[in-house]
Amino acid sequence: MALETTKRTMTLNLTEKEMQVLESLSAQKDLTKTAVIRQALRLYQLVDHRLMKGEKLFFEDQAKRQAELMVMM
Amino acid sequence: MAAHLDWAPVRLEALTRLFETKESWPEHWHWDWSKKADLLDLLAYRCMGIECEGHLQGLMMTSTIAKNSRLRPRGKAILYIEYIESAPWNLKALVENPKYSGVGIALLEAAIEFSEEEGFGGRIGLHSLPQSEEFYRNYMTDMGPDPDHAEGLRYFEMSAEQARAFLEGRK
Repeated sequence: MALETTKRTMTLNLTEKEMQVLESLSAQKDLTKTAVIRQALRLYQLVDHRLMKGEKLFFEDQAKRQAELMVMM
Repeated sequence: MAAHLDWAPVRLEALTRLFETKESWPEHWHWDWSKKADLLDLLAYRCMGIECEGHLQGLMMTSTIAKNSRLRPRGKAILYIEYIESAPWNLKALVENPKYSGVGIALLEAAIEFSEEEGFGGRIGLHSLPQSEEFYRNYMTDMGPDPDHAEGLRYFEMSAEQARAFLEGRK
């Protein structure tokens, strides 16, 4: 099954702390740093798409069932 | 979406026949692929299909975000199968002699390969409709009913090891 494979390269400038977070997520999720950035972009687009449609984003506490409204800029 | 237009008349004919004979019909029949097409504008979603003789024989929609592995090692990225369906003329529940068999297996194989390409190690997950549970138990781990799923469907997951074994078996 043919999948899109064409990719473009860019240089990413991160602060030391941002790079630490990226490396930590990369290790935690067993993903390359590129894959983590790609996942982040997908998530950002999805959340933004739904917020633009007027939906709201909540995080729910599993134990207390408390919902927290998240605001994304 | 082409599949919806192509599959609708066959579904309707079979639906009428099954209703008259009081047999049950596949639970995924309420799925309207044309309504899912909007999601394809988003990077997180991808649709894959198998085409043969000018017709779609099966379709699958996957998501790459917001789901983590529940099998050990927990919390790793997985490819989640949002929807998967064979064309109505390939379903034993609908026709006496399905035109093509193994469409579901071929789609699972494509999902595993896509998961590997994404760096997810072949890990995949899905919530199964009751009629398909036996099929998925052949290849995936049945994690039981998911209390967080809106319809309480059972959650199935395939680990990286299971994925490798699946692909080996397909050679």
